[in-house]
Amino acid sequence: MSAATLSAEVELAEPVPVPAGTQRWVLAGLLGAVLLNAHHIAAWCLPLAIAGAAWRIWAAQRPARLMRRTPRILVLVILTLAVLISFRTLNGLDAGASLLVAMMALKLMETQRIRDWQIVLGGALFLLLAACLASQTLWLVPLYAGELWLLCAGLYAVGARSSPAPARLILRAAARSLLIALPLALLLFLFFPRLTGSLWALPKEDEAITGLGDQMSPGSISELIDSDTPALRVRFDGPLPPREERYWRGPVLHQFDGYTWSRVHADLGTPPALEFAGPDYRYSVTLEPNTHGVLIALDLPRGVPTDLPTVFRTFDDQLTTGAALSSAVSYRLDSFPQHRTVESLPAPLRELDLSLPATRNPRTRELAHNLRMGSRDDHAYVQAVLGYLRDNGFEYTRTPPKLGRNSIDDLLFKTHEGFCGHYASAFAMLMRAGGLPARVVTGYLGGSWNRFGGYLLIKQSQAHAWTEVWLDDIGWLRVDPTAVIDTNQYRGDLDDAGAAIGAGATGSRIARWFAATGQAWQAVNAWWQDEFVNFNTSRQFGLLGRLGLKDRDYETLIALLALSGAAWLSLLAWRGRGLAEGKPRDALSRSWRRLERALRRSASARAPHEGPVAYGERIAGARPELAASLRVLTREYARLRYGRHYSAAEQQRFDRAVRLFTTRPPR
Amino acid sequence: MHSSARSRYPFRPRARLERAVSAWARSRQGEDRAPLTLRSRRIYILPTRAGVVAAALLVVMFLAGLNYQNSLALLLGFLLAGFALVSMYECHATLTGLTISSARVESAFAQSHGDLQLGFYNGADSTRRSLRLRVTAVQPKFFDIAPRSACLVTLRYHALSRGRQRIDRLHLSTDAPLGLFRAWTWLHLPLEALIYPAPLRLRPMPPPTGQPRHSERERRLGGEEEFAWLRPFRESDPLRRVAWKTYARGGPLMVAHYDAPAGAQRTLNLQTLRDLPLERALSQLADWVLECERQGESYALELPDRSLPAGHGLAQRRHCLEALALYES
Repeated sequence: MSAATLSAEVELAEPVPVPAGTQRWVLAGLLGAVLLNAHHIAAWCLPLAIAGAAWRIWAAQRPARLMRRTPRILVLVILTLAVLISFRTLNGLDAGASLLVAMMALKLMETQRIRDWQIVLGGALFLLLAACLASQTLWLVPLYAGELWLLCAGLYAVGARSSPAPARLILRAAARSLLIALPLALLLFLFFPRLTGSLWALPKEDEAITGLGDQMSPGSISELIDSDTPALRVRFDGPLPPREERYWRGPVLHQFDGYTWSRVHADLGTPPALEFAGPDYRYSVTLEPNTHGVLIALDLPRGVPTDLPTVFRTFDDQLTTGAALSSAVSYRLDSFPQHRTVESLPAPLRELDLSLPATRNPRTRELAHNLRMGSRDDHAYVQAVLGYLRDNGFEYTRTPPKLGRNSIDDLLFKTHEGFCGHYASAFAMLMRAGGLPARVVTGYLGGSWNRFGGYLLIKQSQAHAWTEVWLDDIGWLRVDPTAVIDTNQYRGDLDDAGAAIGAGATGSRIARWFAATGQAWQAVNAWWQDEFVNFNTSRQFGLLGRLGLKDRDYETLIALLALSGAAWLSLLAWRGRGLAEGKPRDALSRSWRRLERALRRSASARAPHEGPVAYGERIAGARPELAASLRVLTREYARLRYGRHYSAAEQQRFDRAVRLFTTRPPR
Repeated sequence: MHSSARSRYPFRPRARLERAVSAWARSRQGEDRAPLTLRSRRIYILPTRAGVVAAALLVVMFLAGLNYQNSLALLLGFLLAGFALVSMYECHATLTGLTISSARVESAFAQSHGDLQLGFYNGADSTRRSLRLRVTAVQPKFFDIAPRSACLVTLRYHALSRGRQRIDRLHLSTDAPLGLFRAWTWLHLPLEALIYPAPLRLRPMPPPTGQPRHSERERRLGGEEEFAWLRPFRESDPLRRVAWKTYARGGPLMVAHYDAPAGAQRTLNLQTLRDLPLERALSQLADWVLECERQGESYALELPDRSLPAGHGLAQRRHCLEALALYES
């Protein structure tokens, strides 16, 4: 054999095929990851991934039918174009995840070596990350965990290059490693310093968040969607406010073009002076992300929350951060349902809240004129308009007909049906037409008590609109015109707890059980949202406080992280030593191993061929000071281990002697 | 791509670095003697290329979680980081505590491959996976060792030139369980192989000395089964001499034993090959030794500094080849 052939043999890359079972494992993991993203990626991604996996299974049984380089690049270009067509961008979570799915499906066409399969698994892990970024809903978490387990087991399966291990063992190994990693992950999660902002600007998702917005055009809506999504959760320090006081104030709308009400973003002065009376309610709010950036508060709070930076109070008593809330926030407030404006309305504001489009809704103007003529003062006029709405066959519906350009005329004289937005809009217009400044307030009404979580839950479906009217003698007055039309709104708004009690009185146990389970689930969900999803720097510092630490800063966090991480690592090292040596078979072996370890440190290790007595003799020869006690110990071990029988007492006696020897070795 | 990059740079800094580090490890560890249990102080560990890529991907994941302020994504990144760290310890533990119970090297002809045998014992409760044993410049061998069991690993080494060849260093490594880290140790076992001259056919065999006799083959061709007696088969007997007919009749494995007539032998003498360069002459002698063995003939070896009396069989073969291997080396 010549030297040339030899060196050629050396250069040969080892061809290690990945067994078909392992391949299917990885494919299942990839498909699982694609499925978890199915709701936000392009529709063609899932079929593409399934086709890729099916092809790979088919190709695994045939001699390498892998795709060549040129067609692969061509397909990649086509798939990239497909993503571009679907999303008009390659940027952003949805487009990025779709592109990743396309690339992984393509990668399957050339997957051959261990490294290729590792890349597929890496891609699947990134898809899992994308799924986490897309949704953190609690019920998905077990699915995410299962997928992670599958993928980690896939990493084990692909990594076992010399011989494939049975699936059961691989699953167990992956589960064990993940469980060991979990404490570290939780420590990092709790103590790793977070950003307060973002590193780079996040692409805006243009999906509408249900609930409140900057505008309100009731005429354009033909169906209110009941969204069970939580809007905010409130924990009260004391008793709850009565049901009729649960007006949660949000964005205030001033400008009306006859069809749409919208907010004023200009700074029109400081909030008016208020006089508070009656009971107050102290509470803390967890507010879900929203687009309008207004902090929802019980009508009407005093001051601004002090535990949030950059919140200010506008001229119309909105609490706002000035920008959309991209993540949930928590804050504390103190509200007084009874309050009074103690200064007069400045002229620009009066003008703003009186303005009406000149040409729209002529019949409504006429109606206002007539009603105004018949009222002796402002208060009487408000009552007259409410009476008109109550007595003329108006109905509350969540599926109203669409309205035309003269939306108020259509409502009052044609359709006679609508929801809160319609009536608030009509009432405010009638007030303005009658010479009273009025504004539309959007927010939420009601809330359901969750006894498991101890909080009041306000859902997006409880969004509401009402009005505030300026009366010269008492200031701003809250008027909810929907209340006179739909008394059911208030009766039907019995919270879940009330419903459960009602069911308990009359209905079956099952209904009660369902209601209770629903509440418990909501409470768990709330905990998840508050404590996990919305975990941020302020909560981190709060945690430091609860741990009894005075310095609530990044240095403390990092110190804690280092300490606990080091503890975890040393536990891991300790486990590694156990893995390397194997478990001692019984208590006697454990004692013997303790002795061996001590001797290894202080003298030398036992050679594999040495028996206990020979080992003892050797060490005794080298270390005369140990000789006497060591000879006794090693002979005793040999007697117990190789003798016919030993009692538990003898074993314990030996263990005590070993401990004595190892902790206080003779000098 | 890889090999061209190698040949372009004559320095090969990576190989140099590896050599320096292994020399340092050698001076640190000293000579090893089997049996030997690997302790953690002599086990080195570094991330593989896949490990470095995985670390970069983890950083990307972490940044994404941090930027989106997404708790679940952050937790996922942390979990995976922990998972990788656990795999690092498992990788290290795959080698720690492993016992090398024996090491043996077999002689080989120059310019060919010889066998190297290492005995391992795994005293732990888990399988040690993806172990990789390598001698310089020869294909590595992958193997697993089941829990609480021993195994014998045979590895080929490249026999270079006639004489003694030391195998200074064995490289035992693993990238179990995930391939993100590689733990390794260098074994400096006292392994010395005797390398025989590569057999080379240049001249015909010297004629038999003493009484002329038919070679075994000629007798066979004549159809005369002239052996004197049968004796039971021993491990060292060449298979060719097994009395298959006896075996086929249901008898035990027997070996035909010929009464070699006194003096019916060949003398393989280095002096007869004086016109050849020494190495080629020795190669020719090695070839003759093999040929005589093949023929079942008895032979003697004459070297200027020693002579081996006539004989045949595995022992004779070994003695002769060893003498050739060590001649003037």
